[in-house]
Amino acid sequence: MKVVVAVKAVAALDDEAELVDGDTAVDPDGLEWDLNEWDAFSLEEALMLRDAAGDGEVVALTVGDEEAQDSLLACLAKGADRAVRIWDDALEGADPLAVARVLAAAIEPEAPDLVLCGVQSSDAVNGATGVAVAAHLGLPHVAVVKRLELEAGVATVERELEGGLVEVLRIRLPALMTIQTGINEPRYATLRAIKQARDKPLSELGLDDVGLDAARVGAAAGARLRRLRHPEKGEGAEMLDGSPEDVAARIADIVKERMSA
Amino acid sequence: MTPPLAAEKTRDVFWGFGTLVEILWYVLAVASVVVFAYGIGREVAKYRRGHATFLPPRAELPGRFVTGTRTLLSHASIKRRDPYVGWAHRGVFYGWVVLFIGTVILAVNTDVTERFFGWRFFKGNFYLGYSIVLDVLGLALVAGLVLMMVRRGILRPRKLDYARPDRAPGDPQYDRGIYRRGDWVFLGLLLYLALTGYLLEGVRIAMDAPGYNAFSPAGWVVAQAINPLGLGDEALGVVRRTIWWSHGLVAIAFVAAIPYTKATHMVSSWASLVLKDPLAGKRLRPIPEDRQQEPAGYATLGDFATEHLLQLDACTKCGKCHEACPANATGRPLSPRDVVLELREQSNAALHDAGVGGVLGTLLHGDGRTGSARRIVGEDAVRPETVWACMQCNACVEACPVGIEQAPIINQIRRRLVEEGELDANLQSTLEVIHKSGNSFGENRRRRGRWTQELDFEVKDARKEPVDVLWFVGDYASFDPRSQRVTRAIARLLHAAGVDFGILYDGERNSGNDVRRAGEEGLFEALAEANIATLAKCDFQRIVTSDPHSLNTLRNEYPELGGAWTVAHHTTLLLELIDSGALDVRDRLAYRVTYHDPCYLGRHNGGYDAPRAILRALGCSLIEMPRNRDNSFCCGAGGGRIWIPDPPGAERPSENRIREAVGLGELDYFVVSCPKDVTMYEDAIKTTGNAQRLELRELTELIEEALVGAPAAAAVG
Amino acid sequence: MILVIAETRRGELRPVTLELVTAALGLKEAAGGRVAVAVIDADASSFAGALAVAGVDEVLAVSASTPHFEAHHTQRAVEALIEAEQPALVLLGHTIDSMGFGSAVAARLGLGFASDVTAVSWDGGPIATRGAYGGKLVAELDFPGHERTLLTVRAGAFDPADAAGAEPAVRLFDVAFDPPLTEHIEFREAATGDVDITKADFLLSIGRGIEDKDNIAQFEELAERLGATLSVSRPLVDAGWMSNARQVGQSGKTVQPKVYLALGISGAVQHLAGMQKADTIIAVNTDPDAPIFGVAHYGAVADLFDVAEALEQHFA
Repeated sequence: MKVVVAVKAVAALDDEAELVDGDTAVDPDGLEWDLNEWDAFSLEEALMLRDAAGDGEVVALTVGDEEAQDSLLACLAKGADRAVRIWDDALEGADPLAVARVLAAAIEPEAPDLVLCGVQSSDAVNGATGVAVAAHLGLPHVAVVKRLELEAGVATVERELEGGLVEVLRIRLPALMTIQTGINEPRYATLRAIKQARDKPLSELGLDDVGLDAARVGAAAGARLRRLRHPEKGEGAEMLDGSPEDVAARIADIVKERMSA
Repeated sequence: MTPPLAAEKTRDVFWGFGTLVEILWYVLAVASVVVFAYGIGREVAKYRRGHATFLPPRAELPGRFVTGTRTLLSHASIKRRDPYVGWAHRGVFYGWVVLFIGTVILAVNTDVTERFFGWRFFKGNFYLGYSIVLDVLGLALVAGLVLMMVRRGILRPRKLDYARPDRAPGDPQYDRGIYRRGDWVFLGLLLYLALTGYLLEGVRIAMDAPGYNAFSPAGWVVAQAINPLGLGDEALGVVRRTIWWSHGLVAIAFVAAIPYTKATHMVSSWASLVLKDPLAGKRLRPIPEDRQQEPAGYATLGDFATEHLLQLDACTKCGKCHEACPANATGRPLSPRDVVLELREQSNAALHDAGVGGVLGTLLHGDGRTGSARRIVGEDAVRPETVWACMQCNACVEACPVGIEQAPIINQIRRRLVEEGELDANLQSTLEVIHKSGNSFGENRRRRGRWTQELDFEVKDARKEPVDVLWFVGDYASFDPRSQRVTRAIARLLHAAGVDFGILYDGERNSGNDVRRAGEEGLFEALAEANIATLAKCDFQRIVTSDPHSLNTLRNEYPELGGAWTVAHHTTLLLELIDSGALDVRDRLAYRVTYHDPCYLGRHNGGYDAPRAILRALGCSLIEMPRNRDNSFCCGAGGGRIWIPDPPGAERPSENRIREAVGLGELDYFVVSCPKDVTMYEDAIKTTGNAQRLELRELTELIEEALVGAPAAAAVG
Repeated sequence: MILVIAETRRGELRPVTLELVTAALGLKEAAGGRVAVAVIDADASSFAGALAVAGVDEVLAVSASTPHFEAHHTQRAVEALIEAEQPALVLLGHTIDSMGFGSAVAARLGLGFASDVTAVSWDGGPIATRGAYGGKLVAELDFPGHERTLLTVRAGAFDPADAAGAEPAVRLFDVAFDPPLTEHIEFREAATGDVDITKADFLLSIGRGIEDKDNIAQFEELAERLGATLSVSRPLVDAGWMSNARQVGQSGKTVQPKVYLALGISGAVQHLAGMQKADTIIAVNTDPDAPIFGVAHYGAVADLFDVAEALEQHFA
């Protein structure tokens, strides 16, 4: 049972993040990196499938620079057997379709039974990369899976729809699925495990290793970021100041007024 | 006419025995010794499953032996918090020891010196002295046993029903009848030995009338009861022989059985006291060098440290830890005693599986063939909820008269559970948060010093300039809004008193104390190493911290990782300032207060006096709660439990404590000196419905009020 | 031309479709050309009436070979439509269904692509606005080098168009489908529970900020005192603390109460989708950059427990 999990190291803005490069980027000092929350769930699902099968391999894969290294180590620490990081500076600013092309190129030689991705990442929130990878690999796919059961090469999955509705469907492996949060309880990786994970196999690949050239997958190939800006606070987002008691008093007034109207 | 005094002051040991009978006796005695020795060997085999990494080095053993034996002889740890038991046990202990030594002396005389060298010293004044001492100590033994029987049978303290909180009434392992009966049998046998001893003495005196009755008073009294019965020598002789054999057989059987019964504690408890780690719980053990590649902590008996395996046999089921435990007191499925007993049962069961061959094998080859592969955590074993209910408050370690390290053992079990991912989801996410942001609040590390912004003076950055006092603030004191008020008060006082102090701002990380106690050893090391690296670059005279948890690990655990500095609690510093007059606060307040000793300042680090001295200096009258100082009752936040949700509906330890305070009558304030206590007790005062009756103050807030007056202090906070 | 892909489920046209029509019509003049709406459904032509919006030039009806949405079929159909009609811009709703095929179409056809777009303008090609860094920033994207672009549009970002015009012409569009790659077994309704939060006028909504399960009771009491119904954000349902009958958000319920008081909710996009139409939104959070402040009418950076406690005093 070979499962490839495509993961992403996501960047969280801290409050003092500044825009640089003519407002087309955030100062790297203002970014904190972590493994994407959805990927903890997809990795856990992969580990559970491997353990239930009794043998197999879980490979964690990411497109990312050195900041992604810790996230891969976290995957190894939680139990992934191998990790792969693909990067080339030309990939800076690549859009989800470009990233998907790179991921697909790296996954293809692995010939996995199952590819798992998170539904989306918490920073870009595209919700697109996983299914695009499936398209490049020619794999059947299901998006937004909240429950997965596997038997004899056929997966019965639940797709989580709007309004709490659920669709149950079946798909034959090999396939790709994007995994929704809440499907399982991701395990904890102790710091010792993270330290020991440095001894596990982690390979680094460049674009040449996966047979792609920069022109097809760089930032220029996809959507172009014209600029970043801070969001407007919306009309009348009035901030209430003072002690919690003051705030509560104001809220009480607003509520009473609106509810009586 | 008074019968003549015996020609010789002595007595016949083997009165009326034929040679064959004497030989039979010796055969039985030797058999008893063999069985005893095998039993001891079996216990040793159990301990050899473990690793000896943390046993004291050879050079320290004589000193430890003296300290441990002194503690035992003085009964300091046994009489603590229970004078009745202190006296009862003294009686039994000294009675038994002296009688046992007396028997040995007799054996030496009869079987060695007299037999081989013709020298009988068991006579004359020596004999008389011997006789009176044993008579009196025998009475002490009886008195002690009776006191214990009365306690167990009539007074019936709850802890002696051995009911276990980690099993429900239907469970197969719930019934503790075998322990209760076993203890009665134990007491009964000892009493039997004592009484048959006196009976034998009485019959001898009745038959031989040797005189010197002042030196055998008890025996003489018994003889007075026998004489009127008018039994002839023939009948008395039968009685004498019968009692002799009965007493003798039971005695040697008892001695042979020592390693297999409750009587083991005579040896194991003493050994445990000798090997006792004075820093147990205060300084937890690192992962041993030779186990760096192994999973951490205890999953099987083979993972245990040798001294912990010994401690499992040292437990006498006294229940002092059971009574002291805040988890047990609030209905959680944890009693430290039951963890120890459960592990002991497993240890013995594994041994039983191994059989005699396994035991001898282990003794000879030390190859752990004695079944050490069984998992210690499980539904029928130590349950995870038991392990996680612990607050690592050390009340059990403090209370134990024989030096058992219940809390450190639980901590080791946690280490493995954490590594296997068997931990509460909230605890897991808090550990992840601490790893990422260096604090348990998930706040950006740059916000650590934000609390200083509301002060009207600058607080020095100790990373950038030398300071006299480096103030290690701690997570709660830095980020929790209620605690921040206290932190600012401390800053204002230090500033007013002209103390040269600084903080680490965002260079400070969670000290790691509770991370370690939650079982995440790797994260603790990472935090400690980071803090040590930061501190090492600073220039300061001493560290002062307002967080007892940080105090504990900085003082007791950081040295092993390379960071050894003088560390004090802020109350120590504030007292110095009050004593020197730098803070003019004497006799300004006349409140009636009670004071809660924080576990990590009090029990772990002996810091009971400075806060009390401060309250006295302020002019407050302190009404002590029944459970104070080393018997203080944990607020429930320790051991990572502040990050784990409580079971719904159960009373929280903090609520239990507030009710204790309310029971003292009219009080102005409940005073604390730990940031977690501030959080826990503010909450508990509300949830117990005492918000109108009791208010909480941190000690610093009282000092500030004394300095600047109440309205100013409230406004500035 | 601009091609809108309609979304249907169980015989109903989903509301996001008419929002896409509004977006398309807003760009029609600048982009030039027609606006067509494609419906891929077992009974595609029947939706023409629902799409009777002035400005929609035609409805392309693709007869689906499966009774329900099948991602690979829809993907195939959309690819065929794009290849045949050559639209400069394709609009999809950013929905669970479209997450199953939208990016696959763009990948296979080499289209420009952006998802969860909240605004679109035109300057020789589309300029899309979407969130960045979890919604803390806003990004503007364009697609030089792409003749055709596919965008998925956030539900609720545009107002739904009024289907009050003449019924547009319907053209049947044939697609040769392969056998489906997934097999639909059944639909399952959400747990109804004892409460319907969509009917409540006043919702007190709690999120991750409440920290532990034990604290829920306190907010249940507060809700009762306030005369509000308690609702929650996703993380509390994922953790198993509350039933998803009370969940507000994309995969929970969409609500439109008079007052929505959010405590300890950061405002992840999926949550906002469920409540941003409320009349009055009041948010309390310790993080001054929480995205929820972007949609709230009133906000306070404060400790929610302190505010909750103080709030109790104002309601009997």
